[in-house]
Amino acid sequence: MKRLMEMFLRRLGSLLATLVVMSFVIFLLVEIMPGDVAQMILGQSATEEAVAALREARGLNDPLLERYGRWISGVVVGDLGDSIYMQGVSINSILWRKVGHSIILAMTAFIIFVPLSIFFGVLAGVKEKKPTDSIISFFGLATMALPEFVSGVILITVFAVQLKWFPIVSVIPIGESIWQNLNIVVLPALSITLVMFGYISRMQRSSMISVMNSDYIRAATLKGMPRRYVIFRHALKNAMLPTITIIGMNMGWLFGGLVVVETLFGFPGMGSLLMTAIKTRDVPLIEACVLLITVIYSVSTMITDIMYSYLNPRIRYQGGQK
Amino acid sequence: MQRKLSIMIGLLVLVVVLVVVLLMVFQKDETTQEAAVIGEPVEKEAPVKQIRVAEQVPGLITPGVWDGQVFSMNSSIYEYLIEINAETGELDPVLATSWETNEGKVWTFKLRQGVKFHDGSDFTAEDVKYTIERTQDPSLGHLKKTDFEVVESVRVVDDYTVQVTLKEARPTFVYLFTDYNMAILSSEYDYASLGESKPMGTGPFMMSQLVPKESALLKKNPNYWAEGLPKIDQIAIYFVGDIDASISMLESDRVDVVPFITPEIQQRVDGIDGISVISPYQEQRFISMRVDEAPFNDNRVRLAFKYAMDPKVIARSTAKMELNDGVFYNETPIMNMLAEYKELPLRERNIAKAKQLLAEAGYPNGLSTELYYASDHPFGKELSQTVKELAAEAGFDIELKGYTRDVYLSQYWLNVPISITGWGGRIDPSMLLSLAFKGGGPWNESHLDEPVLNDLIEKISSEADPDQRMAYYHELQEWFYNNGPLINVQVPYLVAIKDNVVGYRQPLTMLPQYKYMDIL
Amino acid sequence: MKYFFYQLKKSPLAMVGIAIIVFWLIAAFAGPSMISFTHTEMDSMNQMAAPGEYGHVLGTDSLGRDILSRIVYGSRSILTVALLTSIFSTVVGILLGFSAGYFGGRLDTAFLRGMDILMAIPPLVLSMVILGILGDSSIASLTIIVSIAFVPATARVSRGVLLTEKSQEYVSAARIRGENHLYIMFVEILPNTMGPIIVEATARFAYSIMMVASLGFLGVGLQPPTPDWGMMVIENKPIIAQAPWAVLFPALAIASLVIAISIFSDFVSKVLIHER
Repeated sequence: MKRLMEMFLRRLGSLLATLVVMSFVIFLLVEIMPGDVAQMILGQSATEEAVAALREARGLNDPLLERYGRWISGVVVGDLGDSIYMQGVSINSILWRKVGHSIILAMTAFIIFVPLSIFFGVLAGVKEKKPTDSIISFFGLATMALPEFVSGVILITVFAVQLKWFPIVSVIPIGESIWQNLNIVVLPALSITLVMFGYISRMQRSSMISVMNSDYIRAATLKGMPRRYVIFRHALKNAMLPTITIIGMNMGWLFGGLVVVETLFGFPGMGSLLMTAIKTRDVPLIEACVLLITVIYSVSTMITDIMYSYLNPRIRYQGGQK
Repeated sequence: MQRKLSIMIGLLVLVVVLVVVLLMVFQKDETTQEAAVIGEPVEKEAPVKQIRVAEQVPGLITPGVWDGQVFSMNSSIYEYLIEINAETGELDPVLATSWETNEGKVWTFKLRQGVKFHDGSDFTAEDVKYTIERTQDPSLGHLKKTDFEVVESVRVVDDYTVQVTLKEARPTFVYLFTDYNMAILSSEYDYASLGESKPMGTGPFMMSQLVPKESALLKKNPNYWAEGLPKIDQIAIYFVGDIDASISMLESDRVDVVPFITPEIQQRVDGIDGISVISPYQEQRFISMRVDEAPFNDNRVRLAFKYAMDPKVIARSTAKMELNDGVFYNETPIMNMLAEYKELPLRERNIAKAKQLLAEAGYPNGLSTELYYASDHPFGKELSQTVKELAAEAGFDIELKGYTRDVYLSQYWLNVPISITGWGGRIDPSMLLSLAFKGGGPWNESHLDEPVLNDLIEKISSEADPDQRMAYYHELQEWFYNNGPLINVQVPYLVAIKDNVVGYRQPLTMLPQYKYMDIL
Repeated sequence: MKYFFYQLKKSPLAMVGIAIIVFWLIAAFAGPSMISFTHTEMDSMNQMAAPGEYGHVLGTDSLGRDILSRIVYGSRSILTVALLTSIFSTVVGILLGFSAGYFGGRLDTAFLRGMDILMAIPPLVLSMVILGILGDSSIASLTIIVSIAFVPATARVSRGVLLTEKSQEYVSAARIRGENHLYIMFVEILPNTMGPIIVEATARFAYSIMMVASLGFLGVGLQPPTPDWGMMVIENKPIIAQAPWAVLFPALAIASLVIAISIFSDFVSKVLIHER
């Protein structure tokens, strides 16, 4: 337990360091973008003096480091600044509502695809080379090969256009909250599920197969233990281990998937907000979104790593030795 | 091992539950907050007459720097001195009740009495003075700055009379007040810090709730000056990123009006019961060639380019319409529908002639050039690709450079060999001439600086005699036909609308007049 | 190699996969000359023609452009970008991962930190933000940026395989012989680690196709009129009711290529791991 704590602290330290560097990289990336922000705000017909005045007013003439300092010190105390287009409207008031929506979407997808893909992965692994396995494996391969927007278009055509079970566009009516409109989450969550299902069920299948072929499972089977018992008491728990890592590693795809899916469905989440921000070149909003995604992503990676090493004593030992 | 696993899974479930609970709490907070913003309990009993609109995601919305999106929102909150009657095309008095001028140099406006801003303050001559003087504020970058530079002084005669003196005669000056950026603002309101978050004017609707980048709810202005208007209680505006999503909302009865649709969408909507597509007016797409640089500094190259075009094919493949039935084509800055338009013969496509002209100009083997356009603007993609294909046969090897509209306008437009740009119509075309075709004009995309043309434009804007002005207009169009660097394709502005929404009005100024609309 | 073909004969699935890949390669090289329409040519009389009508084998889109020729042209750009991306990210990954793993110490620590930072942003988000900011995507910029996004993964794999090889006897033997570091890394170790690296590279190939297609969908990929499969899907989505083929065929193209490459990648990993 002490080792774990130590490891946790060390990981936390490196996470913070990463975030500091990352925040600078994000800031730099977005600030060097072609085109003058002031010009962008005022439009093509603006006079030179107007652009100069606005640059001065927004502090765009200050040195880069100073601007970074101003931005990051705001971020630390939770002030993400103002959107370019919405003077007087803080990014906080735009962002968090959408983050909430995205978390609900990601959670829904997570709750669907994790048990589903583990179950079918195990099933395929146990029935290796039988028809069940072939069907599951091929289905997994097919869904994995379809990017979210393609499977999304298919889902829309079938469930929204033809059957009219779910709305085509995920819009929350004015004055209502997402909880009154949970049906808008279903199709986007399903598109994410399909892609993730492919990855995870395949991983679960192969780790199940290697576990089933391992000596101790063979020994258990030879001892005459019932097959069901062997699978559930021994094989499954060992085969779950790599799957947890895979789920963690695929968090990156999940976030990318969120952007794609939210854009496709017009879902009012963080991903579509980022896309709008990029399209309208809303610099502070891009910075805030990317930073937030980085934080969530890094934290979730860290949790998976710790979980993995907690579950797997071998790694923990190595980790302690390094 | 077994135990650890179950502990971990248990923890995971706990975390999930915690997050969900937190979100619920957090979300609830927000709804109560929203209710507080509205400031009144939501009435469920009385049926609320509401029109729902899907619009683009707005950029800046403060009048003066407003980029011309979400017209339904701003045109309902703000008002103008004068507006164009969508049915007759005449000028309708709004905040000004009458106006008069001597020779176009001194203009006197009588203002409407008893009008209140949404914040309760009275509308007076001071506000008009403020609005006009604001155009010259250097820190603002007002889009009407150049147009109003001609103003010498604004004098408040009494609370309801304003006198504007110009430096030189401008017989069509009054039309400037119909421009969408000339909404009348309150001299006491802080637009610099509230203009984007709490827009406020004298219009028929008031901002009730604005969720940034998502939606806006406008409620009827109970103190509106016109008897019986507006006819509906509220307008709900959704900011939707793409047109396909907007139209899906229309099809699934989540909105009633979708403006700014593409011809592709029109075809899709055509077959649906209860939805119609209307075209309140035409918009222009200028295909401009830059004349101060090779190759288009040679008029023979410009003519060759124009000979390579085929208006019928352009109409069909960009808008899926026939020429002169929805799509119009000419080679001048004057729209076919305007009174100032002079009918010149349509240039027949002639590839041999185009090739010959190119050879004479020193390009016997054709030439390569670039065409820049806004890829996300209606008709942009279609038009640019059609032009490329047509010009290719005459020996123009055109590389297409498509960018999103903001990137295109801020980084490439005004500095490229060929550009395709959307231009709204102007009820008085002289407003557009000095912007785009006069030497030194701020939006002079073709870099024209021809003494003959500059002189003509100057004469048009200061000529008081309408017949003489018309003669100048005709001269100008002939000049463009023979020497001009311009192809003007006029495409319909399309609005998809539910059949139970009646009285949709939107004149050439692009400002929809929701006060006249009703829903059955 | 013999073993490879022996295995191939035994695995019909892998043969199908390779056949599809070969099909797309041929399509990209020779396809355009075999179709009577070009990818930008607009048959304005036959817009949204159904497959088979008026000589358009897969139909036309709303501008009257031939879907087949657009898919075939699109295969050029997507294959070019995906191929270059997987090669670049693998090569850069090997260079970085090998030097870090081989020299160890501070260099290794610095490498790991650097990769941590790059890995802190999901690859799609990273590429999308950069491409969106640049606003002008070409094959070159797309390739470079997607490669950068992929380098952390390939570099980590390379470092991992190098670490397992480093302690082998032939490496110490080479050291004793007095070979220089570069020689040991790239002549001695590299050939022995090719298996996992090739497997990783083929997997990258599939990922980059998905990624390029997704970027095209988001509108930050290749700009029109270059046909891009992802862009075709989204461009034609509004007319899905009238012309489903305009959406269906590009989607199928993406899916078939990714499936084929995944099958191929599985097969390669099976063969190479058995070989060892």
